[in-house]
Amino acid sequence: MKLYIKNYSSYRSDREDVDIRQLLKQKYKLDTRRQDDFIHLALYGAQMLKERTPIREDDELYVTSGYGDVDVIQRTNTYVNKEKEPLKLFDFINLLGNTTSYYVAKSLNIRGKNIFQISDNFTYINSLVSLYASIKNSQKDAILCAIDLASTPTEVSKRVLGVEKDVKIVSSVNYQKFSLDAEDAIAEVEFDLKIYSQDEIHAMMQNGRKAVFNAVRCAKAKNSEDAVLFETMASDALNRALAKNEDMLYIDCYEEKYKILKLKSLK
Amino acid sequence: MNAYINTYELLCNAGDTESLMEAVYNKESALVIDTSYVKDASAGLGKMEYDNIFTVMDEVTEKVLKDSNLENYHDTLLILGSSVGGMQECEEIFYSEKSFRNIDPNRYSMNALTDHLTKKFGFYDTRALSTACTSSANALLLAKRLIEVEAYENILVMGVDGLCYSTVLGFYALSVLSDKKCIPFDKNRNGMNVAEGVAALLVQNVKMDDSVELKGVGASSDAYHMTNPDPEAGGAMASMKNAITDAGLGADEIDYVNAHGTATIANDRVEALAIERLFGKHVYVSSTKAITGHTLGAAGAIEAVISCEVLKQGMIPPQTGLVELENQNINVPLQRIPMKVKNVISNSFAFGGNNTSIVLGV
Repeated sequence: MKLYIKNYSSYRSDREDVDIRQLLKQKYKLDTRRQDDFIHLALYGAQMLKERTPIREDDELYVTSGYGDVDVIQRTNTYVNKEKEPLKLFDFINLLGNTTSYYVAKSLNIRGKNIFQISDNFTYINSLVSLYASIKNSQKDAILCAIDLASTPTEVSKRVLGVEKDVKIVSSVNYQKFSLDAEDAIAEVEFDLKIYSQDEIHAMMQNGRKAVFNAVRCAKAKNSEDAVLFETMASDALNRALAKNEDMLYIDCYEEKYKILKLKSLK
Repeated sequence: MNAYINTYELLCNAGDTESLMEAVYNKESALVIDTSYVKDASAGLGKMEYDNIFTVMDEVTEKVLKDSNLENYHDTLLILGSSVGGMQECEEIFYSEKSFRNIDPNRYSMNALTDHLTKKFGFYDTRALSTACTSSANALLLAKRLIEVEAYENILVMGVDGLCYSTVLGFYALSVLSDKKCIPFDKNRNGMNVAEGVAALLVQNVKMDDSVELKGVGASSDAYHMTNPDPEAGGAMASMKNAITDAGLGADEIDYVNAHGTATIANDRVEALAIERLFGKHVYVSSTKAITGHTLGAAGAIEAVISCEVLKQGMIPPQTGLVELENQNINVPLQRIPMKVKNVISNSFAFGGNNTSIVLGV
């Protein structure tokens, strides 16, 4: 399966210290009321993508996340079950996965299909497969938003993810605009459905190929590049390679199973 | 490559597939009026009896495997649609202990359900979709597309949602929860009933004697309002049109619309308008949520099972609870209609104007 990347946008909380809500209000003139940090993060990435590439009304939209908006779940549970307060209307609305998709679609004026896909394993690569299967039929372009918000405190995210306390969790949003058409593409990305074993991955590495691993999940493998975790870090790694016009082999791992994606720069 | 639904099963407030269809055709609502969820108020709900939603999933998944041509699920992709995932159990722990401390992360989020099923049945791979009330309809949509690109031969599509305080109270806060049994498309309807259920459909690339073909899928986004549908019904019409086009059919070839029909003021008005504009009165329309309630993320899969049964039994379901039809320009039957049913469209519409329609046929 092969897709072409037309453009991308990227944000990571450990690399940039910005007030996202203020930026959305002041720079992008968006109404940020009734929305929470998760939605603001998604909107910020969307606006950056919009600055870099044309968005069409019939583009499809995919939003994918490792664990969704944990903060709002924590908030609603606290209100309803602990403090015996009524559920706040916009907390309920923001609980829903497609609330984020709605705000992103509205801000980009997209009326095509939109899907929120969530997974604690192979989040990004699996979403690429879904997106590919869809636009292969529709022949439209598609935008993929990969987002993870580090909850406050991050202990809640760690508990939800089931990772050790010393793992650093960061917030991140990464977008790419994909097409089946190579015209004006900056890169191509290849991926498949195969689940590789650790032996197959080691064999792949012995030919000297440089690869980027999901650092925390692929802890047993070498060449881990990043000591932080967010489930959609494949998308971030891809965008970093795009920024440097580099080719990349990305290896993701979950419970001794591996999946790969290959990026080839066309610049 | 065509996609066929070869085996299916469900469990909901009305029981399994057979019991549910009896209730649908006999207009016997399985909804109850409950006073335990909302403080000082009653609410119509679709409730099941079980230990936890995970055991219900196991039972349905096992039944489909037993009835299928598969020995196991090791080469099968699982796509599960849910709006709340494992939140029900998370709430119970939080409610009893007033703390997150003992919540098991592996049974918490959306993918807790797929993780559980993979560990028990050994699925090759999984996807979890959460688009609120279109979740499992979108799972069917994705299954069709993956079969078409020959990515998988066997895909188990599941819709799963258990009752939660968060959803019941959330819809109550939105003032769309009815204190009675819901009456879709009625002039005097006053809202929806939140419900729970589990449905599973095995989608394969091979046709069998009693296959139902997943002929078309369509989706659209209103991008109009967070909770209200586009009053001009543009999104609802677009998703139905897209599904019918994808099926290679014309609107006049659809025999029955299994409507989203939640019985909220806004949904039913807009959906009826979309059906009126697209089909006129030539197509029969009813909403089975008058029996099951609104099972949220599971609704698309549950109503796909109902649609398969309508095709196989050759019988259009009557509208339960209807007294006075609001939109007189659509054809909502009060009695079951025996007829040759060739094509059915099932609608699922969600907050944020997220619309999905599927066309099933024989």
